[in-house]
Amino acid sequence: MAVKVAFMQNSDCWGCHQSLLNAHLGLLPVLPALDIVYWPAVVDFKHDSLKARPDGDILVGFVEGSLRTNADVENAKLMRAKCQLIIAFGSCSCYGNVHGLANEWDIEEAIKRKFTQVESITDESPHEPKEHMPGFMRKIVPLDEVISVDAYMAGCPPKPEAILSAVQFLLGQKPQPMADLSFCNDCSLNNESCLLEKYDLCFGPITSIGCTLKCTDNGDPCVGCLGPAKTVSARAEKLKAMTQNIDQLSSGDKKNLHEFLTLFLNVPLMSGFDLAGDILKQVRRTGQPKTALANIPADTGDIYANLMKYLKNNREFIKISNVCDQCDLEIGSKSRMTKVKRDYEGLPNKTDCLIEQGYLCAGPITRAGCGGMCMRVNAPCSGCFGQTAWGVDQAERFADVVTKGFNVALSKEELLAQVKDKLGFMEKFTLATNKNYR
Amino acid sequence: MVKEINVEPVTRLEGHGGLRIVIGDDGKVKNAQFNIASTRFFEKFLEGRYCEHIPRITPRICGICPIPHHLTPTKAVEDAWGVTIPEPARKLRILLQNAKQYSSHALHFYALAAPDFLLGPFADPALRNVVHVISKMPEVGAMALKMMDFGQKLCADIGGKSVHPISAIVGGMKQPMSEASRDKFLAQVNEQVEFTKKTVEIGLKVVEDYWDVVANVGVVPTYYLGMTNNGVHDIYEGDIRIVTPEGKKIDYDVHNYLDVLGEHIPEHSYATHMYYKPAGYPDGIYRSNTLAMINCADKMATPLADGALKAFRDKIGPISHHTFAYHWARLIELVEAIEMVATLLQDPDVVNPDCKTLDVQPREGNGVGMTEAPRGNLLYNIWSDADGICKKANLLVATNHNIAGIEKTLMHVAKQVFEDKVLEGLKLPDPWID
Repeated sequence: MAVKVAFMQNSDCWGCHQSLLNAHLGLLPVLPALDIVYWPAVVDFKHDSLKARPDGDILVGFVEGSLRTNADVENAKLMRAKCQLIIAFGSCSCYGNVHGLANEWDIEEAIKRKFTQVESITDESPHEPKEHMPGFMRKIVPLDEVISVDAYMAGCPPKPEAILSAVQFLLGQKPQPMADLSFCNDCSLNNESCLLEKYDLCFGPITSIGCTLKCTDNGDPCVGCLGPAKTVSARAEKLKAMTQNIDQLSSGDKKNLHEFLTLFLNVPLMSGFDLAGDILKQVRRTGQPKTALANIPADTGDIYANLMKYLKNNREFIKISNVCDQCDLEIGSKSRMTKVKRDYEGLPNKTDCLIEQGYLCAGPITRAGCGGMCMRVNAPCSGCFGQTAWGVDQAERFADVVTKGFNVALSKEELLAQVKDKLGFMEKFTLATNKNYR
Repeated sequence: MVKEINVEPVTRLEGHGGLRIVIGDDGKVKNAQFNIASTRFFEKFLEGRYCEHIPRITPRICGICPIPHHLTPTKAVEDAWGVTIPEPARKLRILLQNAKQYSSHALHFYALAAPDFLLGPFADPALRNVVHVISKMPEVGAMALKMMDFGQKLCADIGGKSVHPISAIVGGMKQPMSEASRDKFLAQVNEQVEFTKKTVEIGLKVVEDYWDVVANVGVVPTYYLGMTNNGVHDIYEGDIRIVTPEGKKIDYDVHNYLDVLGEHIPEHSYATHMYYKPAGYPDGIYRSNTLAMINCADKMATPLADGALKAFRDKIGPISHHTFAYHWARLIELVEAIEMVATLLQDPDVVNPDCKTLDVQPREGNGVGMTEAPRGNLLYNIWSDADGICKKANLLVATNHNIAGIEKTLMHVAKQVFEDKVLEGLKLPDPWID
C-alpha cells in the first residue's frame, strides 16, 4: 500500500518542489511508495477533493510557502485537519522567507505601492483587486503560529537529498534493524555499575542490540546508533524518569543528546530537518503500518518526545552547527576586516573567510544544512536556513560574534554603523518570526 | 439558469490560479476570468535594500525560473550604475540562462504538458500526470529526467545553486566555470542533443496527431511581446519587439518600456494585466512566452533551431495565433537552448577568470534590465540612490505579461466549447497510454 501524501503551496515560488524534482532519477524508487492525493504543480486533483477527504486521511502533508493571503491560512488549517503529520516545508513556512521583509511596513503601504503607484499602471483610479480575491494577512507569520507542526525542513530551498531522505524516513524506507531486544541485554555493565545509576544519559534501554563497538565497555553511554529496538529493557523506566526531569542533569550529562538525536532515528538533523516533540506519539496513535515509527515501543516514543520537548526550549544542547562549520574558507586568516565592504567591491580571494576579507556574510549566525554552497562561489551566506538562536537582536548578535571570534579590526559599534540595511542583511529570511515587526 | 464553472486550482501550473466561466440562461458565455490569488509585494520590500543584494532576493519570485530573476535585476543595477561587464561574464550568463531554458522547457513539455496529450483530454484526472507517464513510458520518462538533470546541474555549477542562484554580481560573475566542470558537461552534451532531437520527434508527432485541435481550438489574434537582438531570437539581451495581430514587427529600446507596456489593475486578479499601450486596453492585449518569441524572431540564433523555425513557418505561416502551437514553439526554443549550451561550453571564455570588473561605483539613477524567462518576458526597473540603496523597483514578470492574453484566450475557447460545441466534432488520436 502506498502512503497518502499531499503537497500544499501557499504564497511562494514553488522552488521547494523544483528542489524535490531536482532529485530526478533519485525519485524513481520513491514515487511508487507515494499515493499523491494533492499536488497542484504535478497532479490534477482539485481543492474540493482535498476538502472532501475525512480528517486525518492523509499521512504526511508538506506545507510550502508563506502565509501572505487569508487563503494561505485557510489552506494551512485544511492541511492540518486532513494530514496526520505536517511538515513545514522550506524556509517560507518555517520562517516567512524574504516576503517577510514586507512586515517592515503596514500592509496598506504594500498594497498602495503594488496596486496604485507602480510606474507602468495606466488606470485612472487603480485599487486593490477584490473580486474573488482572498485578501491579505496584515503581517506574515511562520506556519507554526497558525497550526501545529510536526517537523521542519528549512532551506531556501531545502536540498534535494535532504528532502528525499526525510521522505524516505517518514515512509519507513530507511531500513533500521529494529532488533527484538535492546542493547542492555548485551551490556557488560551489571546493575550496580549501570551508567543510568550514575545519572549518565545512556540510551541502551531503547536501542537495538547488536553493535560491535560497545561504548559502555569504555564507560561511555550508548548514543543510539543502531536505532530503536522493538522492545525496551526494564531500565527504560529509569531513563524515562531522567528525561522527564532533564533540567536537573548537569550539562556534562547531557553532552550526548545531540549524537542521540542525530543517530537514533537516522534523521538528517544537520540538513535542516527537525522533528517536533510529539511526532512519535502522533504516528503511534494512528498506527500507520508503512511508517517505521509506528512500530516503536511506547516508552521509546515518550523518551524521545521528552527530549525533543526539552531541546525545543534549550537549543544549546543540540550542537546546531552554523554555516561556518560547513565552509571551507579559513577563519583566523591573514585577512582582517578594517571596513565593511559591499559585495560588488573588489574580488575576494578563495582561501580566507569572507568576513575577514571585509564582506557581510551571515554564516556565523545561520544554521548549517546547506553544505556551504554559496561560499564555494565566493558569495557570502545570506541566511536562508534560518538562524541558530532566536528571540535576540540578530544584528547585535552578528556584530558580537564576528568582533570576538573573527579577524575584525572594527568594534561592534563601528561595524554596525557601517551596515546600512541591517534587516535586509541579518533577517532577510526570518523577519516574519520577529515579533517587533508585527 | 446561470451556470458557473470553477476550476480551483488550475493544476500543472507554476503559480496560483483559478478559472471561472459564467454561462447565461441563453447558453452564451457571459464572463471568463483567470483569478491569480497570490502576490508578495516585492515592489515594496525591495525598497531600502542594497541594490547588489536584490539579485539574491528576487530569485524567490519563481523557483522554476530563478536564473532570469537573478540575472535581470543584476543587469538593471548595472544599467543604473553604468557598469560594463567583461565579455567572459556575459558569455557565462548566456550559458547559465540557456541551461535554465533547457531544463525548464523539458520540464514544461514532459511534466506539465505531455500528460494532456499522451493520455488524451478525457483521461482520468487521477492518472493525468507525469508520475503516471514515467510509469507507463519508463524510457521516455528516464530521458526526460536526464534532460532536466543536465540543465539543472549545469545551472548549479555555474550559478552556485540551481534553485536560487548566487553567482552573478553587479560587475560580472563571482567566478568562471572550472575546467573540470566544463569538461564534465562537454562529455554529456552530444547525448543531450540526441535527447532533444528525440523530444522534437515526439512533439511533432503530438502536433500531427492533434492537428485538428491545434488548427481550430484557441486560435486567437493578439499582439505579441518578445525580445530580439537585431531581429535574432535572444533570451539574454536585446530590444523589446512587438508583433501586431497582422504580423507587423515594431522594435523599441528597453529604456522606453513605459511608452510601450501598459499595466491595467483588474478587479479579479492580483497578477495585473499588461497590454500594448499605443493600442489601449483591451485592444492592445498581447501574449508573451514561446509562441510570442517565435512570432517575433526573424531568425533563430542557431542552425538546427533556425531549421525548426522554417519548418514551423512552412506549416503555419509567418505569424501564428494558435494557442496550442505554444508547445511547438517551445520545442524550437529547446533546440536553440541545447545548441547554445553546446557552443558556449566549447568557448574558452566560460573558464576565463577575467569575469568581474573592479570598476563598479554606485550612482543615483534608474536602470532597466530585460531578459526572456522560460515562461515569458521579464523586465526590472530599479531606482538607486547615490549610495546604491534601492529607492524603488518596478517588476514586470512573465505572469503579468501572460495573464490578459490567457484570459482573452479563455473567453474565446469557452465560447467554442460551450456555444459552438467544438469538442464534439474534433478529430482526436487514440491515447498513447492509458
